[in-house]
Amino acid sequence: MVVAQGIVKRFGDFEAVRGIDLTVEPGTCFALLGPNGAGKSTTIRMICCLTPVTSGRLEVLGQPAHPGNRALKRELGVVSQEDYLDPSLTVKENVELHGRFYGLEFQQARMRAGEWLEFMQLGTKANAQVRTLSGGMRRRLVIARALMGSPRLLILDEPTTGLDPQARIVVWTKVRELLGRGVTVLLTTHYMDEAERLADQLVVIDQGRILRRGTAPDLIEGVVGRDCLEIPACAPHQTQWIASTLGEEAGSIERQGDTVLVFSNNMDGVIERLRQACLLPSPYYRRRASLEDVFLRLIGRDLRE
Amino acid sequence: MVFRRNFLAWTKYYRSSVLLNFGEPLTNLLALGFGLGAYVAKMSGVPFIQFIGPGLLAVTAMNAVTFDMTFEAYDRLNQNGIYQSMVTAPLTVGQIVAGEYLWEGVRSLLYGTIFLIVLLLLGLVRSWWALVLPLPLFVTGVLFSAPALWVAARASNHEQLFYYLTLVITPMFMFSGVFFPIGRLPGPVRDMVEITPLYHVVNLVRALILGRLRPGLIGDSLWILAYTVGLAFLPVRVLRRRLAE
Ligand SMILES: Nc1ncnc2c1ncn2[C@@H]1O[C@H](COP(=O)(O)OP(=O)(O)OP(=O)(O)O)[C@@H](O)[C@H]1O
Ligand SMILES: [Mg+2]
Repeated sequence: MVVAQGIVKRFGDFEAVRGIDLTVEPGTCFALLGPNGAGKSTTIRMICCLTPVTSGRLEVLGQPAHPGNRALKRELGVVSQEDYLDPSLTVKENVELHGRFYGLEFQQARMRAGEWLEFMQLGTKANAQVRTLSGGMRRRLVIARALMGSPRLLILDEPTTGLDPQARIVVWTKVRELLGRGVTVLLTTHYMDEAERLADQLVVIDQGRILRRGTAPDLIEGVVGRDCLEIPACAPHQTQWIASTLGEEAGSIERQGDTVLVFSNNMDGVIERLRQACLLPSPYYRRRASLEDVFLRLIGRDLRE
Repeated sequence: MVFRRNFLAWTKYYRSSVLLNFGEPLTNLLALGFGLGAYVAKMSGVPFIQFIGPGLLAVTAMNAVTFDMTFEAYDRLNQNGIYQSMVTAPLTVGQIVAGEYLWEGVRSLLYGTIFLIVLLLLGLVRSWWALVLPLPLFVTGVLFSAPALWVAARASNHEQLFYYLTLVITPMFMFSGVFFPIGRLPGPVRDMVEITPLYHVVNLVRALILGRLRPGLIGDSLWILAYTVGLAFLPVRVLRRRLAE
């Protein structure tokens, strides 16, 4: 569905995207993860034919992606990071009009608008002014609008950023429903749980490059370790002991404030070893490692300025 | 062809929001015409109000599109992302610009015609030729949309739009023969005025309303058409660049 080979995007002398390769298989959900400014939106915008690639090869649905390729644009559904709704129109008008831009006849646009609004649970809001919508409704509206062209590939740039938990769940459910209908989905997100829940394949991007790629479980096992042991209030010398006691057993050990995180694919072994060495204080917490751990490991825990 | 219809659909939606703010320039211009008219004697052989009425009609047509294509277009590009969402749906920049021109032409025609009706009610329309006016009004709308849209696409804040209004539109409004014949202006100033598009629009509109047809009007019409065609493509490139950032 999408094949990118070494795509680069330069703004003046700043390289926002520095050679990204990725392949999105039909019918799957592909997620781009990365911190602010990583180049996710820029990558997405190139794929949506909104901005040209500086160099590299980019094919979407078998066609070269560039802003002049209207035939291709018509096959895509795009939810940009910004909502870009028309404040002077009603909910229904926004969606209908978008359908008209996609080349639908009046009646057809009207019918589809009704269907997609219903699908995104906005049926009752059809005649409301856009201004009066909550953030979650706005986002759902933007998705409904993106569906007007009945796209084979739906591209979502941070679909749930800023939404409350309920609103996010609605969006997730709908995205899964669309996946079930055979739509291919490409999304970016800051939320690891979102990626974990939706994505079949994901890549972590930072500073315009791909750091890792794979499925969520692959990344968790490969980058950190399947399970995590959190030992709070641990002095630095204790950390040393733990590290030397465990040796190879631990996948990795990390300090976060005064908490020590031990990751491993063999947590039972780790706990046993620590118990034998009398290094297992109480309380300790055992949990499954998450994509969040992967992300923090790859990107670093410190806030970069 | 389908797209042309889309534009019409889109312009229709816009009309509802846009009609709301059309009363104001009309009121202002009328007040101005009456206020001054009481103090000034004849001009070019007709009463002052008879002289400026057609001139103000031309200005109404110009202003009707100028404000829309500066501030509104700026917002559509920079604030609410309406143009952005249009290029996402597969409209080309050329289609967006064409759609805007079409709408602005209609807007100019609409406001101008309403103004014409007011003039008619005041007994200031002297010729059946006034019936031809919608055509030049439409063209005038397109003509003044182009530079305004160009400015809006290049501007990085609202202040820069005011520059266009105060440095281009207002002087043109004051000097282009709306309020007085330009014959008395010093030579170089007159030459400047003669190359402004508004001057030619004023000439044409006034001649049609007063029924004073003369061969020079063909020249005026050609100027107007030349400006319209010449300026029309100006904003496309800038907009394309801005939207592909
Ligand atoms: N039009 C532009 N001109 C110049 N620089 C740009 C432009 N668009 C983006 N950038 C820069 O490119 C980098 C990547 O931006 P991008 O929007 O792709 O990041 P992102 O991963 O989507 O971040 P976020 O999570 O904040 O949305 C940023 O440093 C940004 O400042
Ligand atoms: Mg972004």
